[in-house]
Amino acid sequence: MKRFLLTAVAVGEAVPAAPAKARSETLWAQTSRRLKRSNTAVFGLLVVVALILVAAFADVLAPYSATDTNPNAMFQMPNSQHLLGTDQLGRDMLSRIIYGSRVSLTVGLSSVVLAVFIGLPLGLIAGYYGRLYDTLVMRAMDVILSFPVILLAIIIMVMFTPTDGFWGIIKVTMAVAIVRIPIYARLVRGSVLSIKEKEYIEACHALGQRDVKVLLKHILPNCLAPLIVAGTLSVATAIIVEASLSFLGVGIQPPTPSWGWDLKANVAWIQDNAWLALAPGFAIFITVLSFNLFGDGLRDALDPRLK
Amino acid sequence: MRDYIIKRLFQMIPTIIVITLVVFAMMQAIPGDPIISLLGDAYDEEDAEKLRGEYGLNKPIYVQYFRWVSKLMRGDWGESILSGRSILNDVLIRLPVTIELIIVAMIVALIIAIPAGIIAAIRQNTWGDYTAMSTAMIGISIPDFFLGVLLLLLFSISMNGFLPSSGWVYLPGTCPSVVCEASWWGNFKHVVMPAIALGVGRAAILTRLLRASMLEIIRMEYVTTARAKGLGERLVILKHALKNALIPTVTIMGLQIGFLIGGAIVVETLFAIPGLGTYGINAIIARDYQQVQGFILLVAISFVVLNFLVDLVYSFLDPRIRYN
Repeated sequence: MKRFLLTAVAVGEAVPAAPAKARSETLWAQTSRRLKRSNTAVFGLLVVVALILVAAFADVLAPYSATDTNPNAMFQMPNSQHLLGTDQLGRDMLSRIIYGSRVSLTVGLSSVVLAVFIGLPLGLIAGYYGRLYDTLVMRAMDVILSFPVILLAIIIMVMFTPTDGFWGIIKVTMAVAIVRIPIYARLVRGSVLSIKEKEYIEACHALGQRDVKVLLKHILPNCLAPLIVAGTLSVATAIIVEASLSFLGVGIQPPTPSWGWDLKANVAWIQDNAWLALAPGFAIFITVLSFNLFGDGLRDALDPRLK
Repeated sequence: MRDYIIKRLFQMIPTIIVITLVVFAMMQAIPGDPIISLLGDAYDEEDAEKLRGEYGLNKPIYVQYFRWVSKLMRGDWGESILSGRSILNDVLIRLPVTIELIIVAMIVALIIAIPAGIIAAIRQNTWGDYTAMSTAMIGISIPDFFLGVLLLLLFSISMNGFLPSSGWVYLPGTCPSVVCEASWWGNFKHVVMPAIALGVGRAAILTRLLRASMLEIIRMEYVTTARAKGLGERLVILKHALKNALIPTVTIMGLQIGFLIGGAIVVETLFAIPGLGTYGINAIIARDYQQVQGFILLVAISFVVLNFLVDLVYSFLDPRIRYN
């Protein structure tokens, strides 16, 4: 029994930041050491951090307003005043890209957090309690999965009526989060199903520990590694879904600048002013690419066997 | 096989019921009273009450739902508020265009993914592998509509309209009206760019997957046996290894259908292709909610049917599925 207990503590605490006294290297230390060896992952992380800084300090960094029109400066080619030129209303493209990063990153990051917040407890309950709970949760997830992701996001946006500004971002975030909940619920449920058969969980039960404690202290920490990897890679997908919604005109509405909307609006001028469509397109691409590079590196670092 | 098909057909029923419930809920949630917009300036309380009775809008919500579903099942999907045309007819005309786009995109994905996945696996950790994997990374990260814009610039704008940037030419014999064009070559020219834009992302995912399963399988004993008995490397890889490596690839391809449908909506909008996607998006912009409803119902039902067909193909390739 004593041995079981010891393993329980060791495994249970290996995933979150374990006390520094732990004799062997913690999983986090191991992971960050492996992560640092991957150039692409470090590159991805650096770009992600840079993008978050750009979004946070957009007011300082943007040379012009993103929404003020200027009839005297329409369709300017990239020049020293306007590094990425101006669009059909004379708005500075660079400033629009800088402000547009706010929508993409806010929706990308917060929709994943929201989806994990809902999906994680659902998966824990379904996997741990099984039976009726499992059936109920999984059937509810099947409802979401019976629609293609973009189509369901469109349905939700039609119900919400897309708007601009703060509420526009909230609506898009919710739409993108709802369609992604099943991914986390299923992932967590799968991990719980295998973890709950382990001997140290049996030991917890034998000791008479309460379910909540077993779930939160012994099962949850062991589900986190795959969840973090899925979450990081999901930010990339969430940003693509947000950009697609904006592109279709059912995402965040103007005047709030967003990359997807700008890309769509400027395709009309592609014949003579191609850079206007290229700038937001590359912005989306680079953001998604960095999250993917970092996520891939994280996965390889957490579980080198998968490589 | 017959029992399996019947079982799968019955499994589709609850899914379709769920779809109708969600679409009905969406139509209920749309802001605005349809009677008010119908009467417009001529609105008065008495007329409105009479119309509500006529359309059954004063009945309990579940009665309204059942009336709505039974109308759908009789083929009455309503009429467009703007054009007055039958919606079921309009969406069915557009369905084949979207299906063609999805099928060609899938073929593009396979043409890229199968050789790239095999080369990356058998030349693991060489420049061939690295090239394939970095290209796949780019393919996964590039949104289909942006790739579409790049293709437009390359093949349409800078090559003086070598490939058409928008519109559609139908396959011979599929023309829905008298005034449309139909030819093999014209259709090919119109479908190739959108299909590449849609297919490359799927190709990237399949390449990574095929590489991983190939790497696992070429280390298996039966592959060593095949080599040991003197079979040529080409035969070992293409006949013995590839066959088994394709099974997980086919599964994932089935899961990709949802993304292909969603992507088709986006890509159609970019290339102004007269498929279901442009129909739905135009309806949303025009706030013609009867059309929106028809679009969503047909896309969601096509998704269920396509998943069913993929399952059939899969159970044909891997008979173990049928018995579980």
